[in-house]
Amino acid sequence: MTEPILAVDQLTKRFDRLTAVDRIDITVAKGEIFGFLGPNGAGKTTTIKMIAGLLLPTSGRVRICGCDMAAEPLRCKELTGYIPDRPYLYEKLTGSEYLSFIASLYSAPGRKSHYQDAEQYLHLFDLWEWRNNLIESYSHGMRQKLIMSSIFMLDQPLIVVDEPMVGLDPKSARIVKELFKSKARAGTAIFLSTHSMEIAEELCHRISIIRDGALIAGGTLDSLKDLAADGVENLEDLFLQLTGSFELQDVVAALRNG
Amino acid sequence: MNTRLFLPFLRSGTNRFFRTGPRLKITLLCGLGLAICLALFLLTHRSVSYFQSQSELGIILSMKIFQMAWITIFAMLIFSSMIASVSQLYLSRDNEIVVAAPIRLPELFRMRLFTTFFSTSWMMLIFSLPVFIAFGVVFDAGPLYIPLLVCVIPATALTACGLAVLFVIVLVYLFPARRTKDIIVYLTVCFGIFLYLIFRLMRPEDLVNPEKYGQFIEYMSAISNPAGFWLPASWTSDLLSSYLLDRRVDMLLVGLIMLTPAILVMFGELLMERLFIPGFSKSQESFGGTHRFREPGRTRSRLLWIFRKERIGFLRDSKEWSQFFMIGALVVVYLYNFKVLPLERTFGTAYVANLISFGNIGLSGFLSAALAARFVYPSIGGEGGAFYLIKTAPISEARFFFSKYLFYLIPFTLLSIVLVTVSNRFLQVDGPMWWISLFCAISICWTVVAMALGFGAIFADYHAEHKDASMGPGAILYFFCAIVYMLAVLVTGFAPAHRLVRSWFRHGGLPLSDALMIFAWGAMVIGLSASIAVLIGRRGIAALKAK
Repeated sequence: MTEPILAVDQLTKRFDRLTAVDRIDITVAKGEIFGFLGPNGAGKTTTIKMIAGLLLPTSGRVRICGCDMAAEPLRCKELTGYIPDRPYLYEKLTGSEYLSFIASLYSAPGRKSHYQDAEQYLHLFDLWEWRNNLIESYSHGMRQKLIMSSIFMLDQPLIVVDEPMVGLDPKSARIVKELFKSKARAGTAIFLSTHSMEIAEELCHRISIIRDGALIAGGTLDSLKDLAADGVENLEDLFLQLTGSFELQDVVAALRNG
Repeated sequence: MNTRLFLPFLRSGTNRFFRTGPRLKITLLCGLGLAICLALFLLTHRSVSYFQSQSELGIILSMKIFQMAWITIFAMLIFSSMIASVSQLYLSRDNEIVVAAPIRLPELFRMRLFTTFFSTSWMMLIFSLPVFIAFGVVFDAGPLYIPLLVCVIPATALTACGLAVLFVIVLVYLFPARRTKDIIVYLTVCFGIFLYLIFRLMRPEDLVNPEKYGQFIEYMSAISNPAGFWLPASWTSDLLSSYLLDRRVDMLLVGLIMLTPAILVMFGELLMERLFIPGFSKSQESFGGTHRFREPGRTRSRLLWIFRKERIGFLRDSKEWSQFFMIGALVVVYLYNFKVLPLERTFGTAYVANLISFGNIGLSGFLSAALAARFVYPSIGGEGGAFYLIKTAPISEARFFFSKYLFYLIPFTLLSIVLVTVSNRFLQVDGPMWWISLFCAISICWTVVAMALGFGAIFADYHAEHKDASMGPGAILYFFCAIVYMLAVLVTGFAPAHRLVRSWFRHGGLPLSDALMIFAWGAMVIGLSASIAVLIGRRGIAALKAK
C-alpha cells in the first residue's frame, strides 16, 4: 500500500478545559479530494491549523508525505499549500507583487520560481488586467481568486483549503471546482473543509464529519448514506441527521406553513 | 541574508507613498518634518549654548542632560518595542502566510526584528539627529562626530529593540499566556515598574539642588559620574560626550555599541528556533475566551449606545489595556515632578510658582494632545471594515462625529482638570492664576480633542491592521498643528496673565484695565479654540461623507 499524502494520527487539541479536537484519524491519498464537514465550532479550523503547522497539537501526529510535522516542519510546509477561510492579503501590494512574494517563500534557491506558473491562473480568473493594481482595490471575490492562484501556482502534493468558494462568482466557482478536479487527477491530494453540501457532493471522493471535536462518520457518500436512517436523499439531509440538527426540518416545515 | 520576507514591508512602504499619495501631500509632509527638525535644532542649540556659557558647571549639566536624554530614549524604545513586537511576532495577521510557509525561524526573527525596529525607532532616528547635531555645533565637535552619530544612534536603537524582542519571546514562552491580554498585561506591569525605577534612580530634581550634597565637590562628582555602565545607552552617551569634550574616540565603547546588536540577533535567532512556535501556538488559543458577559442594558439612546460601543471596544481590546498603565505612570511622574520641585530653595517666591503654573498649562496641553494622538486620532480609522455600519445606518456623519467627540471629551477634561489643579496645589498657587490655568487647560483640551478627531477622520485608514498602524503622517500633522495652537494661546496670554498676577500680588485685587485685558484675551482664546474645533471638525465630517 502506498503512503498517504496526509496522515493524521490521534490528533488532539485542548484549550484549557475544552477539547476542541479529540483523537481524530484521517488519511488522504494521492489524487484524492477529501471533504471535511461539520457544524460551526466543531473543530474544523483547529484541525486545519494543526495540519498547516500553525497550531501545536496537544497530542497526536500529522504526517505529510511521510514527514512528521513536529520533526520536520519546514519539509511538511514545503509540501502543503494552505488556503485559510479569511485569508490575509497585504493591502498595499499589487497582485503581482503578492504572487512573487509567495513564490519566493516556497522556492528553493537555484530552482525556477513558481511565479511563472501564476500567469495561467491570473488569465483563468480574469485577474491578468488587475495584476498591477493594489490589492486594496480588489473585491472580495478577486482576493479569493488571487489567493487561490498563489497556492495553485506552487503545485504542491497537498492542498489544505478552508471554505474555498466563499465570495466567488459562478464562473470562478466553476473554474475552481474544475481546477480541484484536474489537480486531483494529476495526483494532488486535497483536504477541503466546507459548509457547502453541494460542493462536497460534487467534488469529494471521501467525506468525514466532525462534531464537538470528534469524527462521527466517514467514508464515501454512498457508504455514509447507508449508515443513515431511511429518508436521507442527499448529503444535506445526512449532515443534519448526523450532526443532530434534524429537528431543524420541523422548524423549516413550521415556518413554511406560516 | 535572504531578504524575501522584507518584500511586503518595503513594497507596501513604497506603494503607500509613491503610488497612492498625491505628490503635494508627500512634499508637504517632508517640509513639515524638516521644519520640526529645524525647530528642534534651534531649540537645543539655544538651550545648550546657554548652559555652556555658564562656566564648568554648565558644561557638566549639559552633558548630564545629554546622558539623561539617551537613557530616557533608550527606556522608551525598549517599552514601545516590547508592545510592538508582541503585535509583530505573535498577532500579525500575515503569520498565517509566513508561519505556514517553509521559512526558517531565524529568517522570520530578522524580519520581525527589523520591522519592529523601524516602526518604533524611525521617528527617534530622524528627530534625535538635529538634537544631537546641535550639541555637536555648540561644542564645536570634531569631524568624526556626525559619522559617529550616524553609526551609534541606529545601533543603540537596534540594541533596545533587540533586548525588547528577546524579552518578549522568553516571556510569551514562559508564561502560559492563553490570551493575548495576559501577555500585554505582563509587559505593561514590567514597564510600569521599569519607568518608575528609571525616574526614581535618576532623580532629576537633585540636579538643581546642590545643597543636598555635603560639599560642592561631592555634588560635582555626583552629576559628572556616568550613569550605570551596564546600560547600552550610557555607552553611547559616554562615547559621544567624551568625543564632544576631548575629541577622543573610545574604541572599546565603539566595539560594544556596534557588536551588541549583532550578538542580540544571534541570541534572538537561537531563542526563536527554540521558543517561538510553542509561544505562537499558545497565543492563538482561545482568542475572545470563554468568558460570558452579562446581558446588555435596555437603553435605546443612540448617543448612549455609541458611548457604550466605544467604551466596550476599548475595555475589551486587550491591546489597549497597556495604555492605562502608561497613562497611570505618566500622570504619577508628571505630578511627582511638581511635588519634588524645590520651590523654596531654588526659587523662593510665589511669583515664580505662578510662572511655573502658567508654563504648566502648556505641559498639560501637550500631554492632552499626545494622549489624543494615541486614543482619539485613531478612533475613526479604528472602526475599520465596520465603518460601513455607520455609513448605512440612518445616522448623519456629523452626529456620529459629535457623539465620538463627546465620548472622548469627558475623560480628557477630567484628566486635564486633575493635572492642573493637583499641580497647582503642589505649587501652592491660588488666586487668578488658578483660574487662568484651569480655563486654558480646558479650552486647550476641548480643542485638541476636536483637532485629533477631525484629523483622524481626514486621514482615516480603515484598512490598517493595528490601531497603532493607523498612526501615520496625518498624526504628525495633527500634533504639529496642536502645538502651534497651544503656543498661540500661551504666547498671547503671557502678558495679560503676567500683568494680572503682578497687580494681584500688589493690590490683592484686579484693576479694571488688567481685568479688561484678561477678558479680551479669554474671549480671543474661546474664539480661536471654537473656530479651530469647528473648522477641523467640519473638514473631518466632510471627509467621512466622502468615504
